[in-house]
Amino acid sequence: MLNLLIQEGGSMAMAAVGAGLAVIGAGIGIGKIGGDANSAIARQPEASGDIRGSSLIFAALIEGATFFAIVVGLLFALK
Amino acid sequence: MLSFVPAIAAVLQHAPEHAEDESPFEVLFSHVVPQHSTEVFGLVWWNIQWFQLAAVGLIFLFFLPVRNAIREGSGGRMLRVLAGWVAWIRDEMVYANMGEKDGRRFAPYFLSIFFFIAFMNLFGLVPKGATATASVYVTAALAILTFLIMVVGGMVVQGPGKFWVSLVPSGVPGWLLPLIFVLEVAGLLIKPFALTIRLMANMVGGHLVLLSFMGLMFYFGAENGAAVGWAVAPLTTGMSVFIMIIEGFVALLQAYIFTLLSIVFVGQCLHPDH
Repeated sequence: MLNLLIQEGGSMAMAAVGAGLAVIGAGIGIGKIGGDANSAIARQPEASGDIRGSSLIFAALIEGATFFAIVVGLLFALK
Repeated sequence: MLSFVPAIAAVLQHAPEHAEDESPFEVLFSHVVPQHSTEVFGLVWWNIQWFQLAAVGLIFLFFLPVRNAIREGSGGRMLRVLAGWVAWIRDEMVYANMGEKDGRRFAPYFLSIFFFIAFMNLFGLVPKGATATASVYVTAALAILTFLIMVVGGMVVQGPGKFWVSLVPSGVPGWLLPLIFVLEVAGLLIKPFALTIRLMANMVGGHLVLLSFMGLMFYFGAENGAAVGWAVAPLTTGMSVFIMIIEGFVALLQAYIFTLLSIVFVGQCLHPDH
């Protein structure tokens, strides 16, 4: 299938595949953060403000690395 | 579907010059990339620079009255909302992460940077607007400011030599020291770099998603006839409106995250022990 992609779209298709792979990792990470934050809030509703703040920070850190991967993919697609 | 990508590449490479023979897709895409606006004293003036100036102007317009409203406890409903917003950023973001002593010094800077980024992000959502923060140069400049405050502030507070020594956490075995030091210096450089990429990619990414949904109807119209394009139009327009609403949320969220991470990084550099 990868051969087919390379024949059809060249490096652009591979860049799209790379961006998709990066998003899979970010989805797992941010999903885990969200799920754990929700269960933590359910256990301790009075700490919901702190938990929400720190989970936003961690989600943003993951997002930064993911966007770096996507931007690299975009740069290759536009070459 | 891959025929989108060469169009994007073509527009990126020579966007502003060919205004006449543009397809609707290219007209839409020209919203995403910065363009030459005019020349001032021989310097090229980009269109996003107008929006940066407008963001600064809006800060003065909105927040000069807020100063009096906070001091005197007066003002209308709008002023009270803005004053509450400012107080929330000061108390919940700056003071909560840096402590009140340092926070009192740095709160004006972080308040300005929050509303500067927020206004620049929101300008991308108004018609004829351009997002200044979708340019990597703008976000890199903002992140370099954060980096300078981290390093210079840390060296002023802790002393020039002790700042670099205290980069390494205490209790590290001796043979690991060089490796940890290199890693920590790399981390110092990666933090502003991640700030740059995160803000820029969020803004460009939102516009590209919007562009893809709007471009779908032109794609179907060109491939399968105009009737199919018109038939798809309500669906893609609805999706675009939905993404637009999310973009409004993301614009404020990214300003929040940029400011909050800057606060955390600067706080770590000023006082490394907590």
